[in-house]
Amino acid sequence: MNLHRHPDRLPTLAAHYALGTLRGPARRRFEALARSDADVRFAAFEWQSWLSGLNETQASVTPDPAVWTRLSNLIAADQADVAMAQAAKAGTSTSLGWWHHLGLWRGASFAGVVATLGAVWLGQNLNQQQGQKIVALTQQVQSTPRVEYVAVLTDDKAGASLLVTFDPKKNELTLQRVGNYVEASDKSLQLWALPPGKGPQSLGVLSGQKLMHLTVAQTQVQAVPTLAISLEPKGGVPSERGPTGPVLFKGALIQKAL
Amino acid sequence: MEDARLADTLNALIAEIGGKNEAAMKQLYDLTSRRMYGLALRIVRQPEWAEDVVQEAYMTVWRTAIDFRSTLSPASAWMALIVRSRALDLLRRKAVERNHLTDELDEVMEQTLASDLPTPPEQHLASEQALALQQCMDRLEQRQREVLSLAYLRDLSHSELAQQLSLPLGTVKTWIRRGLDQLRGCMGKLA
Repeated sequence: MNLHRHPDRLPTLAAHYALGTLRGPARRRFEALARSDADVRFAAFEWQSWLSGLNETQASVTPDPAVWTRLSNLIAADQADVAMAQAAKAGTSTSLGWWHHLGLWRGASFAGVVATLGAVWLGQNLNQQQGQKIVALTQQVQSTPRVEYVAVLTDDKAGASLLVTFDPKKNELTLQRVGNYVEASDKSLQLWALPPGKGPQSLGVLSGQKLMHLTVAQTQVQAVPTLAISLEPKGGVPSERGPTGPVLFKGALIQKAL
Repeated sequence: MEDARLADTLNALIAEIGGKNEAAMKQLYDLTSRRMYGLALRIVRQPEWAEDVVQEAYMTVWRTAIDFRSTLSPASAWMALIVRSRALDLLRRKAVERNHLTDELDEVMEQTLASDLPTPPEQHLASEQALALQQCMDRLEQRQREVLSLAYLRDLSHSELAQQLSLPLGTVKTWIRRGLDQLRGCMGKLA
């Protein structure tokens, strides 16, 4: 097709171009022409802008409410990442300095920590199983009445290790160990809230039990997008100092949608 | 007619989202998600795929809202374009995984969509240009409208359309050609 010899073909070709039905070599020839000829460019642009109206005029359908729940969790996680990056950039005060260490730790010594976590975490199907476990646990917890906040803390391989729920009526955090991780006898796991724009705040030190409860004020977990567990000397460290050891597990704290 | 106040609302919300305002994001979602999910469903047909598309599209909105002003598009058109490109991305990924596009599925979806009717498109949220196009599309025969919509929304060639709709290739080509000719005449007067 030579458009210069058949200018009357331009509207049709431009329409097929915009619709997507002009394919292969013909499409490439048309694009080459559009680059050198303003009339061709305009015809294509006009059709593209007309047809884009098709995107806006389809019948509306209400999505499942779970779509928003997932989205808001992704957004919270995104916010936490941004906060972390900003804190790392700021990185001068002692508590913010720790954020910096988190990045370092993740980059440099993650391999070593994984090794000490043991081969059980590295089983081939484990990630998938853990993934399903997280989904099942989250569903289970979300269907339990009175639980207002829930977090599944995972390691960097998305293996679930700790399930955290918060009951605002009792001001009680319930921690349930669901993974196989066991800290050494001279170490303790410590739970931290990571409020945006502030340093980490200790929520308590974990006992060796599978299930334990901690009393915290709702203000300590409200508007906190992320919880994390660090490995600390036996008995934990004071909250003001912030975590001194590596962060082993972390996860988004999700407010129940319904 | 486009509701100018709603268009302003969408613009203001997207500006807020550019500043990472989560509450604005929720409002935008409440206002637009039915439209966006409807579009995603029309393109990918399977509800769970459409949910993934909507989720990805709104995350794109969340991350790129700050660049929206420079696109010079109406907000509704900008968002719809994001949904369509995410939906086409997903179809391409799935097509690589397995060839899953069958006529039966189309029929199932037609029924699913039909059961959701009557839900007219929320016209007050569409741009003026989109409403002009809709007027012109409404003047086409149903079958012309259908092949044109599918060709555009799912980015299908003549032969892919013929295959998906179980129609002879020549018929598809004729319907599309006539549909485009009529659209051009109609839009030329309106736009």
